[in-house]
Amino acid sequence: MSIREAQASAPSAARRRGLSPRMGDWTVRLGSIAVVLLVWEFLAPSWNPLIIRPPSAIAVAFVELVESGELQTALLTSLRAFVGGFIIAVVIGVFLGVVTGRWRTAFNAFDPLVSALYSVPSVALIPIIGFMFKYQGDAPRVAAVALFCVFPVLINTQQGVRNVDRGLLEVARAFNTSERRLWTDVILPSATPFVLAGIRLAIGRGLIGMIVAEFLIGLVGLGYLIIQYGNVFRMDRAFVPVITVAAMGIVFMGLIQWLEGRVAPWLRREQ
Amino acid sequence: MATPIRISVEHVTKRFAAGAVTVFEDLDLAVRDGEALCILGPSGCGKTTLLRCMHGLAEIDAGRIVIDGVEVRAPSRKVAMVFQHFGLMPWKRVRENVAYGLELARIPRATIDERVEHYIEMVGLRGFERAYPYALSGGMQQRVGLARALAVEPDVLLMDEPFGSLDALTREVLQNELLRIYQERPRTMVFITHSIEEAIALGDRVVVLSSRPARVREVISVDIERPRTMASVIAHDRFVDLRDRCSRLVLDRPAA
Repeated sequence: MSIREAQASAPSAARRRGLSPRMGDWTVRLGSIAVVLLVWEFLAPSWNPLIIRPPSAIAVAFVELVESGELQTALLTSLRAFVGGFIIAVVIGVFLGVVTGRWRTAFNAFDPLVSALYSVPSVALIPIIGFMFKYQGDAPRVAAVALFCVFPVLINTQQGVRNVDRGLLEVARAFNTSERRLWTDVILPSATPFVLAGIRLAIGRGLIGMIVAEFLIGLVGLGYLIIQYGNVFRMDRAFVPVITVAAMGIVFMGLIQWLEGRVAPWLRREQ
Repeated sequence: MATPIRISVEHVTKRFAAGAVTVFEDLDLAVRDGEALCILGPSGCGKTTLLRCMHGLAEIDAGRIVIDGVEVRAPSRKVAMVFQHFGLMPWKRVRENVAYGLELARIPRATIDERVEHYIEMVGLRGFERAYPYALSGGMQQRVGLARALAVEPDVLLMDEPFGSLDALTREVLQNELLRIYQERPRTMVFITHSIEEAIALGDRVVVLSSRPARVREVISVDIERPRTMASVIAHDRFVDLRDRCSRLVLDRPAA
């Protein structure tokens, strides 16, 4: 009887809670950005224009940089290093995380190295990476991004694999699972939210790695645009790549969120 | 009465903590073919451990457990278990959870689909095949757990306090469902509980264990005819007497 009732009321309750709060959320989000931009626009003229320019001037600079093609070239260069390094980091991080999370010997073998490397500020390693890769092509910047991204993915994956519910492991044993099915039915799905959280952290760190590597190694891409225009006091133009990096962050976070809905639909309850 | 013995527990000893804690020692128990045997005992007396040993999920330190003439060493496909914590995979929908044991047994897809549908219907979850466990109430989740175990059509059903974490009303609904399912097709069942009413209502016999180290204090035959419901059992003439006997044994009080 209770089931029939639940069945009848479930869809209508979902519909009632459906769209309108989401719309409200977005109004607040966009509204807060609009307020910041407006305040900035009106306060900017009272500062030294060498230091602060209003959003309207940045918008004009944005159009100029797009028309000259500088922004697209820089963005493409940056994206190549970011996407390349990010993918390498996810592959290595998930693989090592799974291996070290599941097997004690692997954990003991890798843990001191990972801890040591993780405690060194990654920025300090960037000049060394540049030197190792002879400052040539995308390789040193790809490696820098990978270095920045790999730890959150690795450590989160490891935790995810270790935190598998013991009750579920017992259920799997009780139903006579094979080792392969144990991975696909229990271990990997239960680690998935941890892996995705690690990947989300990796995006933020990877963007830092990308920009710093462009400052210190390549003198290309969005990072170099910032330095180039900062050095000649064109703050309107220097802000354009900064905003572009922020946009990259938002786009990649959105992609991961979309991916999460696809690979882990059972997590939707948390939203 | 020469009903064959399906499960026999012979002189079984189980210790924990490197032998420091004895859960049970020299325990003997027999489960007859087709009977519903309830194991009743105070919390922490090792009922769950006993059940895990019967399924080969935990090793025993001495003695042996035999099911259908084969000594238990690892989980067998002839035996299925229902867990107190439900043990559903949050990432599988209801029908995938129910199909789990069948998939592992490498049964043909068409048979799986047929059986999954049949057992989902039997536990009253029709219409919820595509729901994830988080969307279900506790009672509905345990219906899935029950369907998952029934779907492999085991010779023996082991139930570890399956309704222990449910609220009283839901528990009674599910107890009645289990009675109905058992009475439609009786199969050997071992049911762990610390509820006296539940043990009497569901069991053909009730084994009362003492507190640790667990020994069999007494085996009580429940002379209440089937078909039963929770209400019909509690209203039965024999119920009060049986309940008093059980509760004296559980609480360790001498007969009045």
